[in-house]
Order: sequence, then C-alpha cells, then structure tokens
Amino acid sequence: MSTIWRRFEYWLHRDRADAELAEEMEFHRAMLAAGGASAAAMGNTTLAREQARAVWIWPWLESVWQDAVYALRVMRRDKAFTLTALAALGLAIGLNTSLFTIFNAIALRPWPVRDPAHVVTAHRLMREGGAAFGIAEYRYFASHSRAFSGLTAIRNGDEARLFGRAVGITYVSGNYFRVLGVGMERGRGFLGEEDRSGAPEGVAVISHDLWQERFGGDPEIVGRRIRLDEIPLTIVGVTSAEFTGTNPLRNDVWVPLAARKLMRPNDPSVETWLSGPDQCCTPMAGRLAPGVTRQQAAAELELLLEQFRKANGLSAQQARVQLAGTAWIDSPRKKKQVVPTMILLFLAVTLVLLLACANVGNLLLARAAARRREIAVRLSLGGGRLRIVRQLLVESMLLALAASVLGLAMAMVVPAAVLRKLAEGEVFHAVPDFNVLAYTVAVAVLSCLAFGLAPALHGTRAGISAALKSGAETMGGRLRLRSVLLALQVAISVILLVSAGVLVRAMQRAQSIDPGVDVRRVTVLSLDLPASEYAGPRTRALTRDLQAALDQAPDLPARGLVLNPPFANATYLTSFRPAGSRMLTIFSNEVSGGYFAAVGMRLVAGRVFTTEDSGRDVIIVDEEAVRRWWKGQYPVGQDVFANGKMRRIVGVASDTYANDLSSVETVLYFPITGGSGTPRLVVRDRRAATLGRVAAMVKQLEPRAQVRAEALSAIFAQRLEPAVRGAEFAGFLGLLALAIASIGMSGVFMYVVGQRTREIGVRMALGARPAQIVRLVLGSTLRALVGGLAAGAAIAAGISAVLAHALPGIHAVEPLALCAVVLLLSVAVGLASAVPARRATRVDPVRALRWE
Amino acid sequence: MGRNESLEILPGTLDLLILKAVARGRMHGYGVAQTLKTLSEDVLEVGESSLYPALQRLLLNGWVTAEWGASENNRRARYYTLTAAGRKHLNAERADFERMVGAIQRVLESA
Repeated sequence: MSTIWRRFEYWLHRDRADAELAEEMEFHRAMLAAGGASAAAMGNTTLAREQARAVWIWPWLESVWQDAVYALRVMRRDKAFTLTALAALGLAIGLNTSLFTIFNAIALRPWPVRDPAHVVTAHRLMREGGAAFGIAEYRYFASHSRAFSGLTAIRNGDEARLFGRAVGITYVSGNYFRVLGVGMERGRGFLGEEDRSGAPEGVAVISHDLWQERFGGDPEIVGRRIRLDEIPLTIVGVTSAEFTGTNPLRNDVWVPLAARKLMRPNDPSVETWLSGPDQCCTPMAGRLAPGVTRQQAAAELELLLEQFRKANGLSAQQARVQLAGTAWIDSPRKKKQVVPTMILLFLAVTLVLLLACANVGNLLLARAAARRREIAVRLSLGGGRLRIVRQLLVESMLLALAASVLGLAMAMVVPAAVLRKLAEGEVFHAVPDFNVLAYTVAVAVLSCLAFGLAPALHGTRAGISAALKSGAETMGGRLRLRSVLLALQVAISVILLVSAGVLVRAMQRAQSIDPGVDVRRVTVLSLDLPASEYAGPRTRALTRDLQAALDQAPDLPARGLVLNPPFANATYLTSFRPAGSRMLTIFSNEVSGGYFAAVGMRLVAGRVFTTEDSGRDVIIVDEEAVRRWWKGQYPVGQDVFANGKMRRIVGVASDTYANDLSSVETVLYFPITGGSGTPRLVVRDRRAATLGRVAAMVKQLEPRAQVRAEALSAIFAQRLEPAVRGAEFAGFLGLLALAIASIGMSGVFMYVVGQRTREIGVRMALGARPAQIVRLVLGSTLRALVGGLAAGAAIAAGISAVLAHALPGIHAVEPLALCAVVLLLSVAVGLASAVPARRATRVDPVRALRWE
Repeated sequence: MGRNESLEILPGTLDLLILKAVARGRMHGYGVAQTLKTLSEDVLEVGESSLYPALQRLLLNGWVTAEWGASENNRRARYYTLTAAGRKHLNAERADFERMVGAIQRVLESA
C-alpha cells in the first residue's frame, strides 16, 4: 500500500520531483566534467531523465492494463453473472443519472449568456417574503449604480398572437442584449433609446426558433413588420440559436419594457407598472463590474433602494437585497420550494443504487468463493494480496463503467421524454452535459467501491492452505456478509415499497376528499380576448353584459361568473380585519350571484349577490370565517373592514378546499366587476349543447373572443397531478427495487445450493427428506430475509412519520400498505427460492458424491 | 574488448550494489557511481541512464530516502540514506545473491 501512496505523492508533486531530478543529474555531470570526462562519455541526459521518471508511472499503468484485459476475459467467460450485474447496476445508475440530468437541466444551468459567472439576479427580501423590483426602481438603479457594468430588467410570461397562434413575449430593458452579451444571428439587439417609458418604440427581437419556424429563416427578416395582437412591430434582430432566453418558458419575441404600453393601449395598469414608484415583481439581473463582489453590489443596491424610496416620499422598507446566480436553483424562493423534494427523490434513487450495489456485491462474493482456487493459486505463486485485491477491484470498476455507459444511454432518452410530459409549456434542454458526465463517473466509482471492495477483501482473506483444500467449505464469515447484504436488499425494498404505499394511499385520500364544490358536473369557460383592446373599461363593460345575458337565459342550468375558478393555479389575497382582530391577509375571490349554485356550494345564511351589488361595498364570508371570528353566529348585516374599507356582510357560503387541498381556508367573496381581470364562466353542465349556447352568447357580445371550455374535474385532476406522479414514481421505484432484489435472492439461493451439492448428496444418501433438505439449505438465508423485512419496516415507519409531518394528507401508519408490502415480498421470496429449492431436492446422491 | 575495460553490470544486481554503497553512509548519486567504481577497482562503471532510474526505483519502494544537502565543493546535491526497510531488503538480496553465485560457481567448477 505504501508504494501506492508514494506514487500518489510523486504524482501530486511531479513538477517539483522533475526539477529535483534534473538538478541532481546536472550536478552529476558537473562532477564528471570536473573529473575530466568528455560530453560524449556522459551519454544522452534527456533520455536518462525520461527513463528515471518512467519508473514511477509505467510499470503501474502497464499492470493496470493487464488487469483490465484479464478482467474483460473473466467477464466474457462468466456471461450470466456479467449480464445480471450489468442489468441491475445499469438500471440503478441510469435512474440516478436521469434524475440528475433533469435536475441539472432545470435547476443547475446558468443562463446561456456570455461569461455567466459574473451575471447575477437580484432579489428583494423583506420580512413578509421576497419580491422583485419595480421598473421605476430599476431605472433609478441602472442610472446610479457603479457596482454593475450593466443592470437589466425582465418581465416574463406574457403571450400574444402572431399569425393567429400564441407566442411567448418577454419584455426587457433596452440594454438587455448588450448587458448579457447575447449573440445575434441577424440584425441587432435593442438600443437604450428604444426603451424610454415616455417614448415607446414598436421594435422586436425574435428567437432563432421562431425565425426558422414561422419565417422560414427569411434572410431579409430585419426591418420586416409583424403584427402581434394586431399591434405593428418592426423586427430589428434575431438571436443566435444558443440563446434560449433567461427563463424556462418559451421565449419567442423580445420587446422593450416601454413598448408594453403600445401592446396594451387600453390598460391603465401598464402606466403604473412602468413608472409607479411602489411597484414590484419585475425580475432584475446585472453583470458585476470587474472586481466587485456580490456583497458589495448588494449593499449598494440596498442603499440606492432606500435613497429611491426617500426621494419618492415612501416609507423606509428595511429590505435586504440578495444577489444570486442565474441558475434556477439559485433563486432563494425556488430553492426553498424545490430542494426538499429533490432531496427525497435523490434519496429514493440512491436507495435503489445501494440495493443494486448490495446485489452485485453478493454476486461477486459468490463468485469470489467460486474463484477461491484461482485466487489461492495466484497467492501461492507469490501474488501479493493487495495486487489481487486490485485485480478484483479493476474487474468491479470495469463493470461499474460499463454500467454507467448504459446509464448515460438511458439519460440520453428518459429525461427528455419525462420533461416533455411533465413540463409541456417550458423548454428545458435535458441533454447530458459535462456536469452529468462527472456525476455519472462519480456514481460509478462510488458504487464500484461499495459493491467491489468488501468481496475483494473477503475473497483474498483466507489463507493459501485453507483455500487450496478442495471442497472444505469454511463459509462462516462469508455467509454472514452475504446475509447482511441480502437483508440490506430486502430492507431497502421494504422501505421503498412502504413509502410508495403511503404516497398511494395519500393520493387516494386526496381524490376522495369532498372539496366543497361539485367537481363532476361543472364546466369552466375561459375567455381569450384581444389584449390590445381589453384590460380596463372594456372588460368591466363585458362583465356587466355577460352577467345580464346569463340572467336573461333562465332555461340554462345554474351558471355564474368568477374571477378565480376552483383549483386554478392562482391566488388572490386581500386585507381583512374582523372586530377584535389585527389586520389579516386572506384569500379572496370575485363572483356573480349565480356562481355559488353553479359550482354546487350552499348559501347557509343571507343572500347571494345581485346584479346591483356590482360595485357596492358588500361581501359574502364562508362558514370557516364564521367559526373563526364570529363564534358561529352568522354575521349577516354586520359591517367588517375588508380590502381597504368597511363592507356589509350579506351572506354566508359553505366551505371549500378550493385553494389548498390539505385544509379548508377561508375565502372572502366580493361582487365581480371585471376590474381585476377577465371573468370566467362556470356552468353546472357538461353537455356540448349547453356549452355551445354559452359560447355563442359570448361571441354575440365580442365576436373576436375565443372561448375555451374545461371540465372542473380535469382541472382538479391537474391539481392532483404532482401527487399522482409522485406516487407513480415511488411505486415504480419500489417495484424496480423488488425486481432487482428478487434476482439477487434467486442468484444467492442458487449459489448456496450449488455449493452444498455434496453435503446434500450425503444427507440424501443417508435418507434425509426433501423438506429437510430445503430447510437446511435455505433456512439461514430466510432468517436474513426476515431480519431485513423487520429492519426495513421499522425504517419505513420512521420515514413515513417524517413524511406525515412534512406533507399534508399523509398518515404515518398505513396498515393496508404495510400488509400489501409484506405479502408482495413473501411472494417474491417464494418465487425466488422455488427454482433453487427444486434443484436442491433433485440432487442425485451418486453424482453429487463424485462431484469434483 | 580489452581486459581492463569496465564490465556491464549483471542484470538485477544494480539495485543491490547501490543499496550496499548507500549502506556505508549518506551519499549523492555521483558519489554512488564513484564508490562503485572505486570499490570494484574500476571494473564497474555505472552511467546516468541506469543509475538514476535505479535510484528512483529504490525511492519508490521506500528502501532509500533522499534529502538535499551541501556537497564537498559546496554545491547543492541530493543525498540518499538507507532506510530500515532498505537494510532488510539488502540483507535478503545479498543472501540470495550469494547462494546464486555459489551455485553458479559450483556448476562452472565441476569437471
């Protein structure tokens, strides 16, 4: 071992060692010269130096090469072993690599910009949570900051229609392309003067993909005018193919921030958004000036923020500014969301990998025992034990590397397919890159040590004489290690299966929950209005007209208008202060009177809204609010402070789970006005005829509106989808684990039987019955299985207790899941031992005694 | 080839000879070559191309250690010292070598 260490040390300091050798030989020559030798007599110094240096590296490399060649020969000879091990390991490594590829694609990649290491995103952290910045704030920062060589602001996630199809719009500050250093395929990025809040210009940059797909790669694209939502814009540039934008959404068109006013001429909120001093929610990023640290730049922004607020007569905010990298995971808020889930997922796939390692380790152990003669011969011929351990480890490493090639192949295909299915609207490039490669190699090396080291040490432990004695099976120690590995496999299978069971049960419970609205019969209709004309007074007018039209069609089933339908992925909040309480922030919604009946809610007291209530200061509360703040007394007719003023409570509605499926949350209902956004229609019917009539009513009021109908049950299912997918994935992992463990068990049983053939023969010759033989051969292994089962169940109980604590709707103890797992495992063990047991009872005593 | 010229060193014996030379006390590479030359009465001459690889091999196996010091003419030189493992190896090799030489001689001297 010490020569390996010295070699390593030499390698670490190889430059110094080289210099020392050179100096030493220089000295030698000088002494020779002093002694009168001629240069020719001294020979070729460089060659001598090369040879001296080679002492450290060559023999070693050469012998490793020999080991590898030998290992390949062994692997080819033992095809069954190699294939089993490759399948188990390849699957496990493939799972790990695939998960990492997804994680890498979503969370770890920085923006595809020039020198991304110096680009940071800015986050405002306040006591109440985080927020981005307002555009007025951004403009102030951009003109005053010295810590950045450039600051840019970005608004993500808008959509508009181009040639009748939706494209994703990103509004950016005028310096966006320059600050980030985005390459241009054609034309140029924006100029600073194209993004002045007072003088918007209708210019656009389009993505390489859009240029290819919609414009056929038109070489004369620059200067062409397009109509986005009927608003004319001039294309000034096309980004290079590598630039996919600075968010995971589809980025088709970039437009200057100021031009949002052109895009939405009737929306008064745009002006506020552009120049209001107390706005939020426009992400900001910047490139740090040379030599400036993140801390310094953040401190400068904090200072500028307070200056800005003071100059605009706003109260001090005491906000902290945090600068983070541009990868998704760097965002402080997302980190909190995603890291726990990721840890769980990685834990699960690591368990599968561990299981595969235990499995292959067991197979290797069995093989090492079969190769005891070979190893003993090599030991007796003078092979050092370390040398042989190394040989065995090289075999393991080859196996692990081959498996990781399989894993990488899996990572080429699986993650892209998974992301296509799970994140339809978003564009991730789930192709393995250098990170993934490094991760895979690390996994391969670690797993090689995990499965290869113990068997290698074990296999070379026995003395030469003991090993050479044929057939003398002194299996004590080896059997114990094998039992431990077997128990480990069973335990991991149990852990994964029980966790899957717990998740499946939680999902079943979530599906059977009564969310307080009638999921099965309701349809939600969404309106897509031309954004250039709507938002603002016209939306109010349309809301009023829609409500009137719905009221005048008494033969329609129950129907109404709503701002935020149940299970939509949006939350509206409002301020609320019941008597004797501090100011609260609670969920709110805007509805028409017909909404409650339409979604199947009950009105337990008072009345619903009437058409005249629109614009009046009236609200409806729900039963949960009554329980919480009015001690169960219906407060109909009372006044309460809500959304900025005192409002009269006119009714009490039944509870819903509409916002969060884990618990009832109180919701405050306001009469719908259209002032907060485009209303949606809900109808208590799913028949196409009814939906067609409603759509026709909308078209009559606004012919350009597009109406999209979606069953509430579909929206509900979408909401449950993460839980369903999670349970599916856990179930898949559990079954995979069980499959790998079963193969492993079967292999070990087979091996035990093979090894004790002679003993079995003797016992049968002496009259042992088959049942006794089976008990004899498999008994000790079964004890290991029971141990693993118990340990696994205990750990699984602990894990589900933690899960129950962290996630709503999960119960720590699921007797049904536990029973199912035990049953499943018993069946698997039964199947795995059936063939070996049969073989044991079929041993022919005569042949067995002649064996070897 | 005249009788007074130096001989090639027998394969495998160079390490042994160097160990023996270093066993006499700390010395640098040139010193080893000189010592071997002197002790063998100019018969054994070791060139750089075999001396330095051999020294590296001994270092790798931990039979000698090296450190820098001042030479007799006040230059920086690298001095080699025998380690305990080196002494053990030297003794073992030497015993083997003597048995081998004895055996060869007995064969050659047989009639």
